[in-house]
Amino acid sequence: MNQNTRSLLALTKASFKMYYRNKGAIIFSLLIPIALLSIFGFLSKGSGTSVQIGLTNHATGAISKQFIERLKSVGVFNIKEITEEEAAAELGKGNLDLQIIVPENFGVVENGKPLSGSIQTRFNKAKPQSGQIANLAIVEIVSNLDRQLTNSPSVLDVKSEGVSTNNLGYFDFILPGILSMTIMQLGIFGVAFSFVAMKASGSLRRIQATPVHPIYFVFAQASVRLLVTLASTSILLVFGTYFFGFHMIGSYLNFSIVCIVGILIFLGIGFAIAGWAKDETQVAPVANLIQLPMLMLSGIFFPRDGFPSWLKSITDYFPLTYVSHSLRKIANEGVSLAELPVDMIGMGVWLVVVYAIAVRVFKWE
Amino acid sequence: MAVILEVLNLTKTYDNNVHAVKGISFSVNSGEVFGILGPNGAGKTTTLEMIEGLRPITSGEVILDGIKTAEQPHLVKQRIGIQLQSSAFFQNLKLTELLEMFANLYGSTINPIDLLADVGLKDKANFLVKNLSGGQKQRFSIATTLVNRPVMVFLDEPTTGLDPQARRNLWDLIAQIKSRGTTVILTTHYMEEAKYLCDRVAIMDDGEIVALDSPEQLIRQLLSRGFKPHTEVPPATLEDVFIDLTGKTLRD
Repeated sequence: MNQNTRSLLALTKASFKMYYRNKGAIIFSLLIPIALLSIFGFLSKGSGTSVQIGLTNHATGAISKQFIERLKSVGVFNIKEITEEEAAAELGKGNLDLQIIVPENFGVVENGKPLSGSIQTRFNKAKPQSGQIANLAIVEIVSNLDRQLTNSPSVLDVKSEGVSTNNLGYFDFILPGILSMTIMQLGIFGVAFSFVAMKASGSLRRIQATPVHPIYFVFAQASVRLLVTLASTSILLVFGTYFFGFHMIGSYLNFSIVCIVGILIFLGIGFAIAGWAKDETQVAPVANLIQLPMLMLSGIFFPRDGFPSWLKSITDYFPLTYVSHSLRKIANEGVSLAELPVDMIGMGVWLVVVYAIAVRVFKWE
Repeated sequence: MAVILEVLNLTKTYDNNVHAVKGISFSVNSGEVFGILGPNGAGKTTTLEMIEGLRPITSGEVILDGIKTAEQPHLVKQRIGIQLQSSAFFQNLKLTELLEMFANLYGSTINPIDLLADVGLKDKANFLVKNLSGGQKQRFSIATTLVNRPVMVFLDEPTTGLDPQARRNLWDLIAQIKSRGTTVILTTHYMEEAKYLCDRVAIMDDGEIVALDSPEQLIRQLLSRGFKPHTEVPPATLEDVFIDLTGKTLRD
């Protein structure tokens, strides 16, 4: 065996043992996401499953009737037909999740051409989750009708029907978010603290006293963390699927690829912090400064559509936004990686930036 | 006797213009125990780390076992064993596992239990480092420097902070390493330790070597300059009293 391979294997084996003997840390790293999943799981099993919709129909055509029929066929929708004013008031009180207004010219065909008629929806900003999900369903239904009107092939229509959110609930929205959060925390906090401790204690310097370059130890640590984080996300995924009926619409392969890229980005951030810091006291503030805004603003617990536009455009560029958004798109809508070019490019850029910074700021002592 | 280490005009100047080591030269013979003595901040550790290839050399040359440290630090590290001043080891690993890991980093194969037996830690094989006493930690730390069967071992203040029993026990271990033909270079604050262990000592102060000879020769030279101790030296020391009363048995 090549000496470099032998060194790397020895360090990886040691890293793995160090990790799994730290039982407390492993349990805690899983306990928090499992608790969160359970809370959201039970919440969405209760009230979250039915979405209160106030509908005002100004149109009279067949298309609008079809639209309303389809809306009613969605199991989780509880539809009340009321006037615009009543609906607005109920929405304000929080009794409605979503208000839908069908305009007079919706689906009206004049001289062989359909008039453009947009359906207006308003959702309750206090409970954006249900409104958002309902909105998705409505957009889906409308685009189906649109295809019918413009005589597009109906094959697509059938496919979209399958997606039409019969079962998708808040839990399906939240699970990819919590997975992203776990990936971020294991990457940033998990690595930064333990690695800087080895640096501060001098055990890293002891490796430097051997013929092996300590970068091998970084590789060993990183590969153990990658495997452990993948295992944790799998456990959470199985947990969510088994206990709360999480739906994976897309491919597990694409989902795993995004997970791995996400883990690599956040591991890089963790190593950059640990490489820059002298000891634990320097790690905590920096790690929090990086992690907290992402935790709050990357749309992992609720959609970012309610944000002011300046905040939304800033948070668009967060690495956690790219990761959680693409995981959600894959899991909830079954899109492929090629259909997520913005997220893919965003993650690629972050990967390069993070490791470039890590190499720049890294100090072995 | 064959020279194993040659240090020529070794200098370390830090960016802030601190001259830690000011062009020192000395050589170490194969098989001897060589001591570097000096007060804190004299440049002992910096000197050792430059020789070991752990710290860049500002100017001068170090040739260890025929290899220039500055040019091939990895090759030098492959042949030596280094005990750092404050040795720390990865947590949650057993002594045997740490020894095996270090052996693998040198590409050497060892029997960790035999090595632990050599340093008197056979019964602690499955312990974690954090559960060892100070003296045991130092002995383990020395064991890790032996995994590659080095030609030369560097010990930076190996006995600092140990009780007299543990210190004397470590002296025995160092003498044992020497008896196998391994060259030892050590730093210490304790003169009786240097006198007991070292064949030759270099006394450093403020980045320079102010004296270099065998301990006996240095004492003879001092006396020949007409030196008189302040008080009558009693034939026994307080440490002799301490050891007599508390015994030589290790307490850790």
